Formats: sequence, structure tokens, C-alpha cells
Amino acid sequence: MSVTVEGLSVVIADKPIVSGIDLNIADGERVGLIGSSGSGKSMISKAMLGLLPLNASVSGSVALGETQVIGAPERELAALRGSYVGTVFQNPAASLNPVMTVAQQIGLPLKLHYDLTTTERAERVAAMLGKVGLAEETANKYPHELSGGQQQRVGIATALITSPRFIIADEPTTALDSITQRQIVDLLTALVDDAGASMLFITHDFSVLARATTRCYVLESGRIVDSGATAEVLADPKTSESKRLVSAARILTLHSADLRNIKEDSHE
Amino acid sequence: MSGNSNNHRGTADRLAFASAALRSMWRRAEGKFALIVLALWLAIALVSLIWTPQSLWATDGYHVWAAPSAAHWLGTDGTGADVFSWLMAGSRTNLLIVLLTVIVSAVWGLLLIAAMVTRNSALANTSVVVIDALISIPTVLIALILAVPLGASVAVIVIACGFGYGLNLARVARPAALLASRSAYVESALANGASGWQVLVSHIIPNIVPVLAVQLSLSAGTAVLAESGLTYLGIGVPSGVPSWGHSLATSVKLINVFPLTVLWPGLMVTVVVVALNVFGDVLRDAIDPVANPALRQTVVAAEKEDER
Repeated sequence: MSVTVEGLSVVIADKPIVSGIDLNIADGERVGLIGSSGSGKSMISKAMLGLLPLNASVSGSVALGETQVIGAPERELAALRGSYVGTVFQNPAASLNPVMTVAQQIGLPLKLHYDLTTTERAERVAAMLGKVGLAEETANKYPHELSGGQQQRVGIATALITSPRFIIADEPTTALDSITQRQIVDLLTALVDDAGASMLFITHDFSVLARATTRCYVLESGRIVDSGATAEVLADPKTSESKRLVSAARILTLHSADLRNIKEDSHE
Repeated sequence: MSGNSNNHRGTADRLAFASAALRSMWRRAEGKFALIVLALWLAIALVSLIWTPQSLWATDGYHVWAAPSAAHWLGTDGTGADVFSWLMAGSRTNLLIVLLTVIVSAVWGLLLIAAMVTRNSALANTSVVVIDALISIPTVLIALILAVPLGASVAVIVIACGFGYGLNLARVARPAALLASRSAYVESALANGASGWQVLVSHIIPNIVPVLAVQLSLSAGTAVLAESGLTYLGIGVPSGVPSWGHSLATSVKLINVFPLTVLWPGLMVTVVVVALNVFGDVLRDAIDPVANPALRQTVVAAEKEDER
């Protein structure tokens, strides 16, 4: 599903959160949205889902395929969420309901959008568990019994169980350690590509961004300051804001590259 | 997971959950006490529907305020009626009042909670102010006002207590409900297409059950006390209908002369109120999957049995 955002502005309590956002994602494309904390990344994803706070005033246009999200009736949006649009959240420990088992959690979008029998639902959940690399016994566990990486696998399974055409991944790796981050990014991109869905990958981490996306937008203080192929933006940031973000990321990644070298040296 | 067992997975899971929770409650001494007292209460109330040792209406002017004897296990009251029989019969009235009060206050309280945690901030703010204002009205006053049109009746107790305790429930549960409603898992449910109502029923309420269990069991205990108080005032259970409050009210006037007759209903009320309060505490600990590892083990055990 192609996504087109034109001139999106969100104002909350007279304070502009994002302004004049133009962004498009082609069918089957993985696009990144990167920016520092508080730059308005999550607000854009909320606007795409029509889940902005009620006191927010929105202008502009967000088109998911044929559907215009801004100003659409709640019933129409609810039918869209979870069936055509899947969402992976930042903190898997908090975004899984603590009193629901993994099976109930993953089956939730199916329950909300499809009229399936318990058996059919259980079969789909079991198949999905296999796809995200979790054992079948996980189905009956509660979220607090799982590790962070396993929890995020459940999050991904929940987002993908209805085979949505568009995935919003809102900092899906931020709460995870770096090895788990890489596994989760690889899993997510593989599953999204298999399904042929489009994805908006929101992050503040350039190394994750390079792994997950082909094209990206750089967001700073609610405005898009740079865009282009991810590799190019990383190699040659055009504006001062994106330069700052990239150099900060480079110091961090160089650091970890150095550490990796040291580790490999010591193994030899 | 074997295919045919999945058809009954929902019910089987719920049964396994309930029996595991009951077993965890039974394992604790105070849990045993609460469960035994409440089970006895239920049993006595049911038996009293078909049998009491003496007829409630068998009065005997020659044996008023009698001490306990083989014929009258707990003695007789001021009309010579059997105290034990009246207490037995009273337990069903009190059970009815407690059940109705808990249902009314739960429904009313949850409606208020729904209003307080809604995304519509105008409604949420108004309902908080309204609840704070209403909560200042004493339950007794509401009962007195209700007694004007309704007269002395069970309805007065149930409506007054249900109203008052529902407000309390809403206020006590509000922070927990607010926390749940602003949580990432509610956001996730919304992003998956759940409506506000579905979020309330399947995501917010299940996560505030611990608070609800404690508060509702406190309400149940207080309803027993309120029944005694309001009946004593003459606006609770009408005269002629057996209840613990009725037994207390008719015997308390002569407490200095025949203290034993007052002791029995007083003891009954005390033991039941303590049991209800303890029940809430133990229930809260037993049904929380994070706090109670037994709940997780049964799911796995049930699974293993299925495979066999």
C-alpha cells in the first residue's frame, strides 16, 4: 500500500509539534524516519493511525492507499488499524498487556477484524509464532515470562498476523540490546518483504536505519530537513542538522566498530 | 497444541485459571478462614430456605430471653422465638443484600471509571468533580431520603450502599485505571483497531481487577454493617423479615439484661465482615498472573494433559 503525506501539521495547545511534513512511501518500500528525541517522529505515526490526542489540531493530508485519514470517521479508521496498518511499538515490555497470554495478544487483531473460530485463530497464532522464531509453548506464557527480544517478537507477530499492507515500526529496537536489535531488525525487514508490505521505520539510530530501510527522511524540530537514499544521507548529509545527527551516530558506531575489532583481535 | 482440544480451549483455560486461583487461596491460612466462612454462609442461607430448627413464627410468652438449651441452641428473643432459626433465615437476606450491593456498586463504579478515563478530557474532568461532590453525601442520608418514597425495604439499603460504594470504588480505582488507559498496551490495542469500549472491557478492567477485588470485598463487608445500622434506624429491612440487623435491633435494647442474645448476631456480623475483607485480599493475590506463579504452572500442566 502506498502512503502519501502532504503538508501535515499538528498543533497541540498552540504549540506546533510537526509542520509541513511531505512524505511518501511507495508500495513495498521500506522508508525510514529519523530524528532526535522530541522531534515529532511519533506524532507523525500517530497522525497516520488517526490516534492523535483529541486536543490536537491537524491540517494537511495523510493518504493510506485510497483512504484519507485526516478527518475520517472513527469507525472507518478502526477498521483500518490492525487490518491494513500494523504497528510495532517501542517498548515491548510495556506494549504487551500484562494479564494477556502471548496467544491472546497475537490473536487480538484477528479477534477484532475477522470472524474466526477459536481453533482457526489458534492455528494462525501458532503459524505466526513459528514465523517470528518463537517456540509453540510461548503461546501460553505471560509477557513478563519472556525476555525483551522475545517480547518484541510477540509485538512483531501481533503487527503482522493480519498481513497488513503497511507497517509502522515506531522505534522497535530502542529498548533492546545491540545484538537483539540486529536480530529484530532483520526479522522485521524479512517478514515485511515476504509479505510485500510497505514500512515506515521510525528510529533515532542510524546504524539500525541503514539496516532496515532503503530511503529515509530526517526530522528535526518537527520539520523534514533532509531526505534521500539512506546510504547517501549517511555518507553525505546535506544540512547542518542531519550532519549533526550523522556525526553523532558515526562516533557511536565507530566506537562499537573499534570494540568489535578489539574483541576479534583478542580471539585470534 | 492438538487440534480438537482447541475448540474448548477458552472454557478449559478459564476453568484451570479459576481452580488454580482457588487452590492458591486455600493454601493460605487466612484464605481457608475466608473460604470456609463464606461457604458456610452460602450453605446456611440455602438450607434456611427449606428448613430451620424452629418455625420463625413459633413464639412462646413463657420462655422469652431464654438461655441456650437443647430446644433453643442460642436461646430465645423477646417474643420467645428461636434466635438460631432467625439468624439462619437472616443469613439469606444478608447474602441477597451483599450480592445486590456489590453488583450495583460494581456497575455504577465502572461506569464512572469509564467516564473518568475517557480520551474526552471535558467529560473526564467533569466526572471527577461530580464524583468528589457526590462522595461528600453520607450514605445514611441517602438511605433516609430514599426511605421516604420506598419505606423500610431491602431496596433502600441496596441503592444507598450501591450508590455510595460505587463512588468510592471509582475514586479508589481511578489512578490505576488512568495508568492502564494511558499505557502502551492500550495504545497498542487502539492501533490494532479496538474501540474505546473494547479497550475498557478487555484491557483496562482486567488490569485493575486487583483494586476492584479489594474495594468490592470491602464494600461487601460494609454492606453487612450498613444493613445492621439502617435496620436499627428502622429504614432497612422491614420488621418481620429476618436479617442479622433485625436480630440485633430487637435484642440490643435489653443488652444490659440479656447480653448473650445480642452477642450471637453481633458475632455473626463480625466474623462475616472479617471474612469478606480477608477474601478480597487473598483473591487479589491469587488472580494476579504476575504475583501468583501457580497460575502459570496450571496452564502448562493443562497443556501437558491435553497432549497425553
